[in-house]
Amino acid sequence: MENTNTQAIWQKSKNGLWALIVLLGAFIGWQVYADNMDGYEIAILFGVALGTIWLGWFWKSFQTLAYFVATFSLLAIWIYQLNGNLYAANENAFFLKYLVSSQAAIMWMGVLVIFATFTYFFGLFKQSEFVYKTSTFLAWTAAMFGFIGMMVRWYESYLVNVDYGHIPVSSLYEVFILFIVMTILMYLYYEQKFKTRAMGGFVMLVMTASVLFVMWYIFDRQAHEIQPLIPALQSWWMKIHVPANFVGYGGFSIAAMVGVATLIRLSLEKRRPQSRLLNALPSVNLMDDIMYRAIAIGFAFFTIATVLGAMWAAEAWGGYWSWDPKETWALIVWLNYAAWLHVRMTKGWRGAPMAWWAFIGLFVTSFAFLGVNMFLSGLHSYGEL
Amino acid sequence: MSKTTRTTQTARKSPVWLEFLGSMNLAITLLVMLSIASVVGTVLQQNQAFQNYILKFGPFWHQVYNSLGLYDVYSAGWFMLVLLFLLISTGVCVTRHTPIFIKDMRQFSETLSLNALKHQPNHASFSSTDNLHTSQQRALTTLKHKGFRTRVHQREDGSVTIAGLKGHWNRLGYFFTHISIIVICIGALMDSNLYLKLNEWRGDLVPETRSVPLNQVDKRAWLSSDNFSYRGTVNITEGQNADVLFLPYDEGYLVQQLPFRIEVKEFRLHYYDNGMPKSYESDILLFADELAEPIAKTIEVNHPLYYKNYAIYQSSFGDGGSLLNLKVHPLMAPIANSSVIESAVNRTESLNTPAGKFRVEFSDFKLHNIVPNSDEEREKTGHKMHNNGPSILFKVRNEQGQAWEYENYMIANQQEGRWFFMSGVRNSMAEPFRYLFIPADANRSKTRFFEFLALVNNAPLAERIIRNAYPRPDGMEEKAYETHIVLFKQLITLFRQAGFDGISQFIQTNVPEQEQATVAEFYFSQLANAMQTLYLHILEQENAILDNEGNISAENQIWFEDALTSIASLHRYGPPMFFELETFKQIQSTGLQITKSPGKDVVYFGSALLIMGVFFMFYVRQRRVWIHLNTTGTGTDITVAAKDNKKLPETEAEFNQFVAKLKA
Ligand code: HEM
Repeated sequence: MENTNTQAIWQKSKNGLWALIVLLGAFIGWQVYADNMDGYEIAILFGVALGTIWLGWFWKSFQTLAYFVATFSLLAIWIYQLNGNLYAANENAFFLKYLVSSQAAIMWMGVLVIFATFTYFFGLFKQSEFVYKTSTFLAWTAAMFGFIGMMVRWYESYLVNVDYGHIPVSSLYEVFILFIVMTILMYLYYEQKFKTRAMGGFVMLVMTASVLFVMWYIFDRQAHEIQPLIPALQSWWMKIHVPANFVGYGGFSIAAMVGVATLIRLSLEKRRPQSRLLNALPSVNLMDDIMYRAIAIGFAFFTIATVLGAMWAAEAWGGYWSWDPKETWALIVWLNYAAWLHVRMTKGWRGAPMAWWAFIGLFVTSFAFLGVNMFLSGLHSYGEL
Repeated sequence: MSKTTRTTQTARKSPVWLEFLGSMNLAITLLVMLSIASVVGTVLQQNQAFQNYILKFGPFWHQVYNSLGLYDVYSAGWFMLVLLFLLISTGVCVTRHTPIFIKDMRQFSETLSLNALKHQPNHASFSSTDNLHTSQQRALTTLKHKGFRTRVHQREDGSVTIAGLKGHWNRLGYFFTHISIIVICIGALMDSNLYLKLNEWRGDLVPETRSVPLNQVDKRAWLSSDNFSYRGTVNITEGQNADVLFLPYDEGYLVQQLPFRIEVKEFRLHYYDNGMPKSYESDILLFADELAEPIAKTIEVNHPLYYKNYAIYQSSFGDGGSLLNLKVHPLMAPIANSSVIESAVNRTESLNTPAGKFRVEFSDFKLHNIVPNSDEEREKTGHKMHNNGPSILFKVRNEQGQAWEYENYMIANQQEGRWFFMSGVRNSMAEPFRYLFIPADANRSKTRFFEFLALVNNAPLAERIIRNAYPRPDGMEEKAYETHIVLFKQLITLFRQAGFDGISQFIQTNVPEQEQATVAEFYFSQLANAMQTLYLHILEQENAILDNEGNISAENQIWFEDALTSIASLHRYGPPMFFELETFKQIQSTGLQITKSPGKDVVYFGSALLIMGVFFMFYVRQRRVWIHLNTTGTGTDITVAAKDNKKLPETEAEFNQFVAKLKA
């Protein structure tokens, strides 16, 4: 009793400290950058601060991650300042070059993602707790580096040219990093909540594919070079529309890969009921529940993102809906998951068909995310491949 | 929704068609149809010229696709019908579910029998030594503490049932999401062009397909300013104003009268240091009868002007008739004298020249031409882009109607370390420009080139210069010498008229095959001698310094080669004149988009409902708890039951925790 009491107090003070630090950070940010912000942006800043506080309370591990990300990002900024605040320092200063310049951090993220994918699968086949724990650690570290990469890139964009500065969610390259970080974190939340690491490998497969794409995009197309924003993207709407979208994409990807795990399990149950893998995979019911939750959160945020997108479009293009390909594909994705949810809710479908549907949903989602940029032309300007 | 309510629902038989309209199957079918239609609309490029489609699909499939409305899916009749059905279906669905769900939200089901409680998904029974009253108090506080609303039911046998309900907002989620769909559809319909379609169908509205001045537009293509909703564009030149909009419609357009007038004072375009556009902005004034003072505002992308229920957006820009001062250099004349014309973009000039009559149509002026650097340039300068400076776009049409389109740059641009004036030419819009590169002289001008060209054109003078440079050597016969001079003259003329290819062609048709190679070598060396001689004459006139041995500098030598290349391609340049942009005054026009969109707020309201609804539906769990208390000799028998409208893994754990708390 005594013990739990002190623990509760300790947790309370940690939470209090967290809130204080986040608010302080937001306040300092506001003081330092007030000149560059309009009213909306200040509102977003404090809105995000409150959201972050809530997230940290809701999910304690996020606090730890955030402390690390903040420390490393500030370290990077500090080293830049030591080096005359020149972007070129990322090629000279040791720490920047090998660890915390955005480019280095993103490379670390990529490597760690690929390692984590292997170890998660290895853990699954060996059913080794130690390997599993290592995978989780690698995944957290990958997310951390990705996150640092984004934060530092934000700062770097101002170093390249004050005019260029912007939050790094404006090009296909930048949103891919966002996607990877967001999805890993969402996955890690479910991993913790449901106490199973068995689906890690499956989810990380999508992350590995994304990392490989990003690498190709860097080395073949120099996509990592920081470019200024075209006029249509110079809006505070971008800061909320894009991240909201990627909670959606993240949720849908996780659901799809959990769907794959479900399908494998179902097929093993039928064909090879002796398989050791059956013990390693969680029950179909649990995976079904995770699938539902991932789609639910994805759908909720995707709804918000689409509505925000419409409002932004109304301000930038003069109409809230123009049947632009990106818009239209967002609608298709949305309708797809609305139908999925309906079938589940009202017809009570479970198991294989829903898993298949969730998996196919990944292709619909990927087309909306990538395919539209590659194959269709429209008003959405960022990142033609 | 509980089993019991479902059965009552089916028991109250509604007509089959209503059953069908509100059915889940129809709803899902409609959602899928909408998705497929949307896919088609994005994969098939919409609203293109018919010729493109015919080329792509062939006449047969073109017919099929066209009659299915696939070229404009989103305003096709069947698409509207799908939307309408979705609206009706959702409407019926909501109407039918409303009474059930409202009942479900309100009722606590406190009268369920003990037996029924024991059939709930979660239940537990235990005994307590406390009396019924104490137990009841504790149960009530526990429920309150957990956020349940409660209702107590005193049974006739003395036992008590406490029913708790939490999260009834979940049900509201259903209403919010589904009603929001209806609201959004209504908003979208308010902003759609249904009303225009109706008027077109009645014959009151006929889109204009010609591009004619405003006062000649068909009266039936005009829309009055009290039109309910619209979205159109208008281009306004700096310093000018407009009070109409153009709405693209079918193959033509409609003219929308505005209830105000917009004047554009200035348009500005800013660039980043890498040449990408940074901002477009227009200073505008809005005049309206009800305004004492006009509204002045600078609009830019993402920052429109809102006035009443109108919104005025910066959407595009273009040339508004920039003033151009040009020099026309004749390309065939024996002396380099140019004439001057003053014109403007969007104007047409007539030219009377010795080479014939021409019409020149100036179609565009660009102040900046920002193009990507090649890899080497990138390495050298560190910039991704460079600016080629101002250019004009124009067409020259001869009396037979044949036209050449030109793109001429005003200043010299560097190519491989040398400076050239570029001029693109093409015979049709489908072709890419072929470029003429006129080498710039030491003063970065075209003077030397036109002097040199005039000399090449001036046969008598050229002959004199050549005779001076190559006097008849002693011992050469007069006749042989004259033949040589004639050869020089002919080579120059041939070169001037048909370039190097012309000379090759001449050899191929006039010289026996076995001698062609030797003759070609001889001719080209003679041509080079002749041209070099003429060039030396020019250099002498310029007082260009030769070195001790009488050789020209390397730069001048390269200039000479570039000039020859340039002259050699003149015969493919079209009519023999070159338009040089001397000075200009840029006048821009801004493209404004103006909307009146009464449905927007309706759509936003619907969207807000939708978002709230989705969260209620997913993140508010509707939970019920029953606590049945029955006095026994020693205390109280307690039965706890619970039901969650979504079965979640944590439901059971929470239930056990709850029971433990009651026991404590
Ligand atoms: C575009 C149109 C529609 C959208 C976006 C939509 C969206 C949704 C969503 C997101 C859910 C929640 C699923 C869940 O709670 O997990 C839902 C539930 C439901 N929908 Fe729809 N819906 C649409 C049209 C319809 C129509 C036309 C019907 C009529 C047949 C319908 C009937 C239902 C029913 C009965 C439920 C279950 C409610 C419950 O039991 O809580 N929906 N809808």
